[in-house]
Amino acid sequence: MSGLHVQLRSDTPIRLAAEFDCGAGELVALVGPSGSGKTSMLRAIAGLWTPADLQGHIRVNGQDWLDTHTGVQLSPQQRRAGLVFQHYALFPHMTAHANVALAAGPGWTASDVQSLLVRLGLAALSERRPSQLSGGQQQRVALARALVRVMPKPSSQTHEPEGLPGVLLLDEPFSAVDAPTRQALYRELAALRQKVSVPMVLVTHDLQEARRLADRVVIVDAGQTLQTGEPSRVFASPRNARVAELVGIQNHFTGVFHKDQPGWGRLRWTDPARSAAAIDLRVIDKNKIDDGISVTWVLNGEQVDVLADHESPEHLEPGATCLRCQLIEVLSLGEISLCTLMPMALPSQAITLNLTTRLLARLQVTAGAWVQLLIAPGALHIMPVRELP
Amino acid sequence: MDWSALTVSLTLAVLTTLALLPVGLALARWLAVTRWAGRPVVEALLLLPLLLPPTVIGFYFLMALGQGSPLGAWLAASGVRLVFTLDGLLLVSVLINLPFMVQPIQRAFAAVPNSLREAAWVSGLSTWQTFWRIELPLAWPGLLAGMALTVAHTLGEFGVVLMVGGNIEGETRTLSVSLYDKVQGMELQSAHVMALTLVGVSLLALSLVLAFDQVGQRGRALQER
Repeated sequence: MSGLHVQLRSDTPIRLAAEFDCGAGELVALVGPSGSGKTSMLRAIAGLWTPADLQGHIRVNGQDWLDTHTGVQLSPQQRRAGLVFQHYALFPHMTAHANVALAAGPGWTASDVQSLLVRLGLAALSERRPSQLSGGQQQRVALARALVRVMPKPSSQTHEPEGLPGVLLLDEPFSAVDAPTRQALYRELAALRQKVSVPMVLVTHDLQEARRLADRVVIVDAGQTLQTGEPSRVFASPRNARVAELVGIQNHFTGVFHKDQPGWGRLRWTDPARSAAAIDLRVIDKNKIDDGISVTWVLNGEQVDVLADHESPEHLEPGATCLRCQLIEVLSLGEISLCTLMPMALPSQAITLNLTTRLLARLQVTAGAWVQLLIAPGALHIMPVRELP
Repeated sequence: MDWSALTVSLTLAVLTTLALLPVGLALARWLAVTRWAGRPVVEALLLLPLLLPPTVIGFYFLMALGQGSPLGAWLAASGVRLVFTLDGLLLVSVLINLPFMVQPIQRAFAAVPNSLREAAWVSGLSTWQTFWRIELPLAWPGLLAGMALTVAHTLGEFGVVLMVGGNIEGETRTLSVSLYDKVQGMELQSAHVMALTLVGVSLLALSLVLAFDQVGQRGRALQER
């Protein structure tokens, strides 16, 4: 029972249905739009937010911090949660050292605190007040203050290799610093993870950040944890249309799935407004979706080949669909051009592709020209329409 | 210069401030954080002395504590005299100075971001430790402002003093009352000295209030960074 286990349910004041865990030394990112409840989940773990009708449990290394069945509810002071606030919430009337020393337990001496500050590159700054520190420096002080809550007491000689009964909680810690500082802080967090083996939960709305830092991501929307998994998996195969939307996938459409020859399916791409027009795309049947089911699907633009209008493909992948499209718009962004394409057979839909400007030059096409898209079955990811809860 | 009146004034000002500080601090801290629906009513009651003519307050005080009222009769029987004494003056002075003490302190506590309280809690500090080590050090400019305002306002109070305290030399005759006497008696030289003293003290107190306010604002600006 090592690590953090969270399972929470509540209806007021906001709807919450959270379920995820985080192993010792693991970094889990809660990702979702503003107001999705991810910060509330973090505050619930820290004990700062406990709605009256909350049901569920928060367990850290087998210790109950909250269990509504047995009536256990530890105060924020009793929980060993190191929380880095979004705007750091450093005590402005105290030096960096005093900020950290305040959170350190009785086992910490002033020199222990100082050596932690040294480790975080704050050696020369320990006697400064927060107002005399840059954003990145403040962030490191906040991190140190959170760390002293979860690190083993320096005086005790016993090692706790199984992980400590604490969690590190990071609430959008990188949102208020400039880009170069953020890069440096990413590296520091990565280095820190080598040394401190506690569950770490990061709240962020930045998908790239989550992808870069987290072992696993938890997609959060409207108070619910929708999908949990390794970033590459969640981003490549979102469980449903809402997750696809939240992880910023372009090109998601609706359609109906039909079973075909064994191992193959047929995706009938339709326009919800006009049912007459349709395009059939060959897809792989993974036996997960029944025949005739309405689906949403995603086209992975990186796996789409573009050919000139009358060019015939040299090598056709089995099952690939060739789609004639008109280039509606070409926005040049330097080396990459953002292209909007309209399928001839389904003119109400639009496909967005990031094509290299070199490719467009080679094909000698501009806005208004026609091209062919070669869509391999692997470029399509099909999801059942999300059942409304 | 009426030295005994100056002594009475200063004694009253210092005692009022000292008596009011713990009461005002508790009230202000409570008002700053409470989510109780009745808060505006309490705040209105606290502000009332700012708007009411001092004579109204003095009148009710006399009615409530004079020998004609049951409370006054009971107090007299217990040997406590509050009308025309410094004790009574002190009591009414505490009441009418409540807004001057509470307002700046309340503002100072309200300006302490809630995230700092929460940061203190997750750092392991109890609510009480959070108050002493985080909130109070950040709110102290508000405390000083409240104290300076209370001293200045007590020194300048006239109507209530005359109604409740009367004009007893060495007991309830304050500098402002003495000034009134001197003007009545056409002793303008003395009146000038006392008036100037009061102007000077008030100016000093207000300068302190504004200076503390600036310190407080700097503190707040820094917290919001």
